[in-house]
Amino acid sequence: MGKVIVITSGKGGVGKTTTTANLGHGLAALGRKVCLVDADIGLRNLDVVLGLENRIVYHLLDVVEGNCTVSKALIRDKQHGENLVLLAAAQTREKDAVNPDQMRDLMKVLRKEYDYVLVDCPAGIEQGFRNAVAGADQAILVTTPEVSAVRDADRIVGLLEATELHDPQVIINRIRPDMVRRGDMLDISDVDDFLRIPILGIVPDDESIIVSTNRGEPVVNDQRSRSGQAYRNICRRLEGQEVSFMDLQGENFMQRLLRRIRVGAANR
Amino acid sequence: MNKDVCRIKGSRRGLVITISAGADFAEVLRQLQEKLSAAEGFFAGAEVKLAFEDGQFSKEQVDALAELISAFGMSLDRAQPVTRYSPAPSVGEAYKEAEPAAGEETLLVRRTLRSGQKIHYDGNIVVMGDVNPGAEVACTGDIVVLGSLRGVAHAGIADRVDAMVFAFRLEPTQLRIAHYISRSPDEKQPQPLGPEVARVVDNMIQISPYTHWGS
Repeated sequence: MGKVIVITSGKGGVGKTTTTANLGHGLAALGRKVCLVDADIGLRNLDVVLGLENRIVYHLLDVVEGNCTVSKALIRDKQHGENLVLLAAAQTREKDAVNPDQMRDLMKVLRKEYDYVLVDCPAGIEQGFRNAVAGADQAILVTTPEVSAVRDADRIVGLLEATELHDPQVIINRIRPDMVRRGDMLDISDVDDFLRIPILGIVPDDESIIVSTNRGEPVVNDQRSRSGQAYRNICRRLEGQEVSFMDLQGENFMQRLLRRIRVGAANR
Repeated sequence: MNKDVCRIKGSRRGLVITISAGADFAEVLRQLQEKLSAAEGFFAGAEVKLAFEDGQFSKEQVDALAELISAFGMSLDRAQPVTRYSPAPSVGEAYKEAEPAAGEETLLVRRTLRSGQKIHYDGNIVVMGDVNPGAEVACTGDIVVLGSLRGVAHAGIADRVDAMVFAFRLEPTQLRIAHYISRSPDEKQPQPLGPEVARVVDNMIQISPYTHWGS
C-alpha cells in the first residue's frame, strides 16, 4: 500500500507545483513507483513543469466520471516511464466538478499501484483544497520565508487539524542565505518559531529552477544544482533516511563565484 | 423527563452547545434533536461549537452530533474541540480572595490557535500554546496565554474594565480590554524579555512586565 501525500500551501506561487514535480522525479530516481496527481482543476500546470503537456488525452475528471479507466488516463514520464506517471487536471472545468468522496475513491485505487501518490493542491482554502486533501495520509506544506506565505501556511495547519491529516511537515522554499545574513529575510528559526511543525527541507532560491521549469525538466535531475540537491535530500528523508540539512550559510564568496562559473559553463 | 443534558446558548459570535457532565450520549442526541426541531429553521446557517463539561466524546459521537447539526442546516466548527473545567467548589479559607467570581468559569485550550481560528467564551480563557496572528481569543473574563500571543485578544468583552491579558510573550496584533483597543506599534519593537500583562490603567491599555500578584 502506497502513501498519499498532498502538497499544499494556502498562498499561491510559493512553489507547490515545482515541489511536486521535483519530489516525483526524485523519488522515481530512488527506484520508487510514483503517481503525480494535479488537483488544480481549471488552472493545471504540473503537466507543463514535467514537460508532458502535449501527451494529455484523458484527465482526472474523465476518470472520476467514468469516461475512461484509471490506467488509461495516466501519462508516463519521458525519463522514468512506468515508474513516474501523471494524472492531469482538466483545464476546461472548475474545481467543484469533483467532490472529496470521489477523490478519496480515486486515491484508494492509485495507492494500490504506487509507492507514492503526490497530490498537487491548488492555492486557496476552498473546494479545490478540500478535494486535494481528501484521501491523503500526509501533508507537506510549502512556504517561502515571507510573512504572508507563513501566515497562510499557519492557516492551513489549522484547517488540516480539523481533517484526519495531523502532523504536517513543511518545506521552506526559496531561501536566500545572503538576504537572511543581512537580516532582510525571515530565517529558518523565525519560520520554525511560528509554525512549530517539523521541517522536511530547505530549498535555496535558485535561478536554475526557472530555467528548468520552463524547459519541463525538473531541477532535481541536475546534479550540480543546489536546489536540486535540496530536493534529493527531501526525497531521501521521505524514504526514512537521516539526511542533515545543507549548510546554506557556509558558502563564502569564492565558493559562490566558483559555483556561478560552473553553472555558467554548464549552461553554455 | 430527564434533566437538561444539552443547552444551546447564543453569544454575540455564535452558538455553543454545552453538554452536561456525565450525560448519557443517547439522551444528548434525543434532546438536541428535540430542541433543534422546536426551533426549526431558526438556527439555519449558523456555525456551532461544542463544549463538554467533562472530557470529550469520541470521534464517532462527535460525528453523530455533527450529522444531526447539519441536518438542521447548521455546521459544526470542529477546529475547536473544547473542554470545560468548572472551578473547584471550595479552595479553603486562605485562598478565598483568589476564588473566581460566582458563575465564572475557565476554558482550557490545550493547543496552539492558528490563523483563522477563533475562541469566544463566557468566562476566562487559558491557552496552553500560542495564539498566532490571524487567530482570535475573546472572553468576558481574563485571558492567559502560556506561550506567544501574536493574534488578537479581547478580554472583558461585557465591558469589564478590570479584565487582564497575560502572555509569556505578549506581541499581539491588537489588544482589546472591555471597550479599549490598542494595537502593536508600527515600528519594530525590541522583543519583550519575559511574561507581561496588559491591564487598563488611566483609561488606557498598559502593558507591564509580570510580577507576582502579591507584590
